[in-house]
Amino acid sequence: MSASDVIGTERLEALLRGDAPRTREESARGALLSELRGAMLHAPETLRERVLATAPVPRRLSLRVPSRRLALVVVPAALGLAVAAALVHGFTGSGGQTVQHGVAAAPTVVGAAKAQPSTVFRAATGSAAGGAPSAPSSLPAQVAPPVGSGGRLQHTEASLQVRVPDVGRLSAATSAATRIATSLGGFAQSVVYRTPQSGGGASYIELRVPAQNVRAALAKLAALGSLVSQQVSVQDLQHDFAVESAQIAQLRRTVAALQKALRNPALPDAQRVLLQIKLAESKRALSQRLHARTGTVTSGTTARISLVLSTEKSIVPVVHHRGRLGRMLHSAVGFLGLEGTIVLYALIVAGPLALAVALVWGLARLRRRRDEQRLLTA
Amino acid sequence: MTIGGPGAVGPGVNAVSTSLDASVALSARPGFAEVASEQLDAVYRYLVFLTGDRVAAEDLAAETFEKAFRSWRRFDPRRGTPRTWLCRIARTVAIDWFRAETRRRRREETYARELAVAGDAVFGEGLSAPLEQALRELSPAEREVVALRVLLELDGPSAARVLGISQTACSTRLSRALRRLEERIGDVRE
Repeated sequence: MSASDVIGTERLEALLRGDAPRTREESARGALLSELRGAMLHAPETLRERVLATAPVPRRLSLRVPSRRLALVVVPAALGLAVAAALVHGFTGSGGQTVQHGVAAAPTVVGAAKAQPSTVFRAATGSAAGGAPSAPSSLPAQVAPPVGSGGRLQHTEASLQVRVPDVGRLSAATSAATRIATSLGGFAQSVVYRTPQSGGGASYIELRVPAQNVRAALAKLAALGSLVSQQVSVQDLQHDFAVESAQIAQLRRTVAALQKALRNPALPDAQRVLLQIKLAESKRALSQRLHARTGTVTSGTTARISLVLSTEKSIVPVVHHRGRLGRMLHSAVGFLGLEGTIVLYALIVAGPLALAVALVWGLARLRRRRDEQRLLTA
Repeated sequence: MTIGGPGAVGPGVNAVSTSLDASVALSARPGFAEVASEQLDAVYRYLVFLTGDRVAAEDLAAETFEKAFRSWRRFDPRRGTPRTWLCRIARTVAIDWFRAETRRRRREETYARELAVAGDAVFGEGLSAPLEQALRELSPAEREVVALRVLLELDGPSAARVLGISQTACSTRLSRALRRLEERIGDVRE
């Protein structure tokens, strides 16, 4: 029987530590270990000199961070950076302007239309404000903005949301809205009427009315039911109109001068060709400016009204008015979501690749270990 | 410099690296020259046992310390003793040498490498002839585990880490190697 059959791992470890042998086999094993340890085997002096010659002056401890610890630093830092970027994005994207809303703001907003090219008037009443619907008869006169300042070219856009009691009234109100537009010199550009089987219904009407009749149109349309919300924006086009008119006048003068020059029979041919080219360009530019001014005038003389008639409260979107902090947080959360999406996509794309690389690396390592083992056991 | 003898240290502790461990515990990183001077014999002895060739071991030891110097900044005393770290490097260097030797032998189609002429002391002066002969007949894998556990007195986990195997496998390999040594010695004496 060989010694290993009776000397277990624990006893072998004890013998390696120098414990006294207990059996004859352990004595033999202890003697073997002692003989092995007693052998004198030192590195040659030439080797020592060679090695110590390569050993440099001790270096100072570097500040190198181990890779695992580096990961512990980098990952939170990346997360912090992402959150900071989101907050900066939210801060810069939240903006500083405030939205004027409410009935009380109406007179001042419209009064400021001359100074500001575009103004917005909003009014929310009834269910949108969370309270009981107001009486249809009293609202229009109270909330209709005094739009259409005399003497100035202004484009007016308005949107109204009016609630009616039932589908029968919805149909009648839709017809009445188109009639109101027609009676005021305008027309209905589009009408979408929906009455789903689940109940309720809504109609979406796009109206065009002359600018001078906007106020009357808004008042009459608001009287079709309970006014839920109203938004009116006025954009001053007077400056655009003036600029376009000046350009047109200038171009007309240029065309006249070119035509006069071309009538000169002594004009050299080369110069004539150049002037003809300039004349053609000027005419084309004049045509464009005239077309643009026509559009400006049309826009300024016709107001656009979007009317939503509905029988349901839920069809009316609730407008959330956030403060600057709220907007910043909202924007930051959105940005974080975008970052998360990007990271998720990156993981989805890179994940299988990383898994394959890890698998290949593991297999290569296993194979290398086996090769080494085979090499050393040969 | 001699390698520490048996019983010089407590259970599970490497004898020679005890002083270094103490410095590690104090977070004081030893200098490379100090480590090289202190561990040179151990590394050389390990390589002699692994290769069975003193000349090759000398070259490999020099190469080991060159590599160790180049990667000295990556050495982390908290993850192991300098001796364990150096033995791992020495093993990698030795395996490359084994590969090169295998290729050379295939190319020359002769077994050109001879361990040593019988009677030469390869594994150390003071060993009996039967033990010397028995060591020659062991495989490099068996000799290296004997070197690590018996001569260099690495503890089980450290030796297993150097060999890249589990602690149990390391103990099994050591036990088998010692048993074979005893059997060979018995055969030679008979």
